[in-house]
Amino acid sequence: MNKGCPDPPDSSPPSEYPPKLAAIVSLFEGLPEVEKRETLISYADQAARCAPAEGERFDLEDVRKDEECTDTVGIFLKVAADRRVHFRVSLGPQVQILTRAMTSILCKGLEASPIETVLDLPADFVPRIVGGQLVRVRSQTVYYVLTRMKSACRAFLNRERAAAAAN
Amino acid sequence: MNQSDYAHPEVLVSTGWVSEHATDPSVRVIESNEDVLLYDTGHIAGAVHIDWHTDLNDQLVRDYISPEAFAKLCSRWGITPETTCVFYGDKANWWACYALWVFRLFGHTNVKIMNGGRDKWIAEGRSLTREKPSYAASEYPVPARRLDDDIRAFADEALAQSKSGKPLIDVRSPGEYKGTITHMPEYPQEGVLRGGHIPGAKSVPWKTAVNDDGTFRTPAELAKIYSENCGLVKGEEIIAYCRIGERSSHTWFVLTYLLGYPNVRNYDGSWTEWGNRVRMPIERSA
Repeated sequence: MNKGCPDPPDSSPPSEYPPKLAAIVSLFEGLPEVEKRETLISYADQAARCAPAEGERFDLEDVRKDEECTDTVGIFLKVAADRRVHFRVSLGPQVQILTRAMTSILCKGLEASPIETVLDLPADFVPRIVGGQLVRVRSQTVYYVLTRMKSACRAFLNRERAAAAAN
Repeated sequence: MNQSDYAHPEVLVSTGWVSEHATDPSVRVIESNEDVLLYDTGHIAGAVHIDWHTDLNDQLVRDYISPEAFAKLCSRWGITPETTCVFYGDKANWWACYALWVFRLFGHTNVKIMNGGRDKWIAEGRSLTREKPSYAASEYPVPARRLDDDIRAFADEALAQSKSGKPLIDVRSPGEYKGTITHMPEYPQEGVLRGGHIPGAKSVPWKTAVNDDGTFRTPAELAKIYSENCGLVKGEEIIAYCRIGERSSHTWFVLTYLLGYPNVRNYDGSWTEWGNRVRMPIERSA
């Protein structure tokens, strides 16, 4: 059954996470195991919608196949004038379901977050969403997309600093 | 040579066979994957899911479940000792072979592998469903013991095998065997402190046993790889290992069922144990 992702609750507890991500974390923490899995599948089903649209332009594009992931992952970053980020992510067909789910969650949860917030984001929300049962040795790539997003933000800032220094 | 020339051709079934027998009450189709949510996204109609980690491993001690827990697991899925269990999964059946091997540990002999696994089923355009089946609980007698002595090897036994020069097969990638990498290609680190291989082990990556579509190579091709090139002799004690025992389950299946080697054991502690254990000898090659 392909259900839409449930909307996270409007009111979220104050946290170190961006508000949209905090709301998703809160949603997952309230779900029993079976519904948690179904919701993860719903997010994974929507991962294709996170891919960049035809002709969409970005400030940074980083498409590569790393040793630690089963397939190619492309990170596309746009940074607005107010320093808020917009991510699009392309995933190869072999990428695992959990990683697909996390891609959707991050694209939604980090939308319009300040770039520094993304860089400072702790990864401890991952087990809070996924649950301890699903994070195991062979599913560590669930952290991979966040790592790549942070890497893209760092590269963007470095490039910006280099350009400023050159001027 | 054709499929009937495998030593035990009855253990290998085609996707077509599974399609015809998936609803046969004497057959239980079992999906076992590395991708933890893959079954939930769609599976063969009637297939049940066995999670290698939560269903087959003890959750506290690094070991397999108890005979009591195995009986309970089988009962949950309506499996009796007479049920034909057909395993399939992702990664060219790594975890299907692993689950099959664990079933054999508990003495369940009526086991089969769907050749080519999940990918072949999908590549052929066969249907998947998200509907999870339910079966009436069965009576599965608690196995008297786990056959650890017969088809499973432990670190000390692998060490003795190494010292005595008996065959040890390292089925990991060449980079892992050489010690140039401490993780599987395309995977994150799994907490191994040292790279290399067990002294005397020969490198025969699991992948050499399969075609591009995940199906097993022909009997003649397998015989050339393991008998001619690797020099394995039937009757010898053979131990296969990888990182955590799933890829070596695949090779164990090939040697035991497809080639008919009678004394093959899977060292499931594998490199995540050997590469971390204090004072274990390690060999590296250029």
